[in-house]
Amino acid sequence: MRRLRGMSPLFLAGALALAQPARAECPTRSTWPTEDWPDAKAEVAVARATQIKALEDYAFTLEGRDEERKGLRTDGVVLIHKGRVVYERYGRGFDVGKRHLSWSMSKSFTSALTGLAVKRGAVSLDDSICEHVGGKVKVRDNCAITVRHLLEFASGLDWKESYEGESNQSSSVLAMLYGEGHEDMVSFVANHPLRDAPGTSWDYSSGDTVLLSGVLDAALRPSLGRDWPWVLLFEVLGMKSATWERDGQGVVVGSSYLYATPRDLAKFGFFYLNDGCWAGERVLPEGWVADSTRVSEPIRRKPYNLGREDSQGWQWWLNRPVPGQRESLPWPNVPEDAYAARGHWGQSISIIPSKDLIVVRTADDRAGGFSLDTFLKLALAVVEDLP
Amino acid sequence: MSASRALGVLACAAALSCGRGDTVQRPYDNNDLQLVTSYTAKDFCSCLFVMQMSEDYCRRWTAASPAVATVRVDYKERSVQTAAALLWGEKARFVSERDGCVLE
Repeated sequence: MRRLRGMSPLFLAGALALAQPARAECPTRSTWPTEDWPDAKAEVAVARATQIKALEDYAFTLEGRDEERKGLRTDGVVLIHKGRVVYERYGRGFDVGKRHLSWSMSKSFTSALTGLAVKRGAVSLDDSICEHVGGKVKVRDNCAITVRHLLEFASGLDWKESYEGESNQSSSVLAMLYGEGHEDMVSFVANHPLRDAPGTSWDYSSGDTVLLSGVLDAALRPSLGRDWPWVLLFEVLGMKSATWERDGQGVVVGSSYLYATPRDLAKFGFFYLNDGCWAGERVLPEGWVADSTRVSEPIRRKPYNLGREDSQGWQWWLNRPVPGQRESLPWPNVPEDAYAARGHWGQSISIIPSKDLIVVRTADDRAGGFSLDTFLKLALAVVEDLP
Repeated sequence: MSASRALGVLACAAALSCGRGDTVQRPYDNNDLQLVTSYTAKDFCSCLFVMQMSEDYCRRWTAASPAVATVRVDYKERSVQTAAALLWGEKARFVSERDGCVLE
């Protein structure tokens, strides 16, 4: 064998190894909360009494009678710092064992399940929806919609997410959940006309997520059965409280209907905080968390009605500018690496990797007025410099 | 509070943000009483049997306008039947711990 000039075989092997993309190792943790969380509440309650009072004054001060639905109405808060529960409180009749409705936090779970389906080879990001739910799609132009478009709220479907003060007859969401669509939500969504070419614009849409859960159901049910979200995710994380309601066809309503306890919701946050690894093993595809928490291309290019806090990746809310649209951070008092699953009436699972912090809030805010920025600022003060 | 506004509030539940609409959509085969009886039946059922809150709490949690005329809970069958204006009524039933409630 002729040696390459000036290069030993050993050096050559090393150079080839360097040419490969570096494999991301799973983070090392001393414990994983599959059964339950380690508890450090008592010591933190003493050490951080002032900061906890400020957090509680903001989140747990009720106004008026319950039926008046005034002010902020927090049902539960759990702070997980460095893998331990450091603060936890419930209100308004909720307790540690009670599930809470997630509303649109469900969307981030559907996003995670897409990653798990990709890892199994059951779907690919560039699959047409018609490869999986083609039998339900009568508007054939809609076959141009891919899994990636759904993850990015970029289906292009002519969908009306909201309607306050407008006619109920024009609300796509009402029709899907409670009207003509509730029996078969996937078909209902899939047969809306296109407003834009798929992939070219962004519009927050529960329809896109429901269609995504339909694609996942079709792709995963044959091998895993109807409880595929449990097999792939909830059983892995030990989310024993998970309930996910279905439409009339038995497909989980990926946009809206997941219920779990705050402690179990925090496990999902911990899963993402640890790069999609659990108990030291990689569960989500390598790079999935990073890809999910990057501002997506369609929201940069053509967003419809970009709200002040709209900065999104794959069905996660990001604390990032939207290049070309808005330079400010959605939560200016919070580190820029923060991201969150969010749901109506004040639900959130916030993940702040640089602080090793997860903040879960369940609530029933009907009057609006909740500031995630203020709430996270107060939560950060509770854990600042904690060992 | 107008009926449309009240239903808008409850329906915003599916999304985080409200008031985003901009284009005119096709009308759906919805009416306010159908929507409110469906919403109340499903979410009352979920409140009682999934979230395991009290009937009193669930009545306040699902309050919408127009208010449904009756809400009847069957604890043995674990179902919730709603009715409004004679013609409109919906039933939701609890299926299982994992599946929660579904409209019939």
